[in-house]
Amino acid sequence: MELRDINYNKSDYVETASGNKVCRQTVLCGSQNIILQGKVIVQSEAIIRGDLANVKTGRYCIISKEAVLRPPYKKFSKGVAFFPLTMGDHVYVGERSVVNAAIVGNYVYIGKNCVIGRRCTLKDCCVIEDNTVLAPETVVPPFARYGGSPGSHIGDLPECQADLMVDFTRSYYQHFQPTKLI
Amino acid sequence: MSRNSIKILPGALVCEESKLRGDITIGSGTIVHPSATIIAEAGPIIIGDCCLIEEQVKIIHRLPFDQQNKENTTPVLIIGSNNVFEVDCTVESPKIGNNNVFESKCFVGNKVTVSNGCTIGAGCRVDG
Repeated sequence: MELRDINYNKSDYVETASGNKVCRQTVLCGSQNIILQGKVIVQSEAIIRGDLANVKTGRYCIISKEAVLRPPYKKFSKGVAFFPLTMGDHVYVGERSVVNAAIVGNYVYIGKNCVIGRRCTLKDCCVIEDNTVLAPETVVPPFARYGGSPGSHIGDLPECQADLMVDFTRSYYQHFQPTKLI
Repeated sequence: MSRNSIKILPGALVCEESKLRGDITIGSGTIVHPSATIIAEAGPIIIGDCCLIEEQVKIIHRLPFDQQNKENTTPVLIIGSNNVFEVDCTVESPKIGNNNVFESKCFVGNKVTVSNGCTIGAGCRVDG
């Protein structure tokens, strides 16, 4: 199933040498602490808080509109410490989702409008359905499908999920083209 | 035409990318993160000390549809101290006490009064 071409305004996006396509209307705080590995798409109005802690994404990640990547914090007796947020390769974060996870594995699909609770761990090849609210410190096992509010295990995924995500993110990146003026 | 009259007390930290509109008083020690929206449409908003207003939070003070301004007094939206507004919550409640936590993506409507020490869970919708 071939994805449709998604066109964007060429002046709105900055394309880096490693193929990252970042919209100008994003709020990237602390950009020196944000590492986008390569071929990452960050769509408009997304927020990545690198000023709180390091944020590292893998290759072929897609951060949709208005998503928020926020490093999690842990309350100690002496105050609050922010932990780095690491994302693997081929991760799709849906629109308006709030990701407070500590570790997101590879090949993860996070749906629209989700709330990933504080310090969650999403292992490889999991799917978080749209509108899920994951409680803090949940560990989502590989090949699990989580949904609902509170998020719970609602299904399993086939072993080919990794290949499906690779296909999906690669073709999304290929079809994310600037509008051609004829 | 509403004139922006924003009073930020010492010790508060308001990010430049936040949208503040109307007559707003922000107490000391309060932190307003980028992309937060505070709109004081129907009257002034007073935010207490040491509040934490995270990204994409919308604190909107508007009159409910059925209530006209009969008394000729402008209603004030009062938020107490030590409240935490997590990412993407929407708060329109006219009176909020102290030490509350509004978790991500919750919605607190116009006719709700929040007292002290409450936690509105993630994604919950509290209407009238």
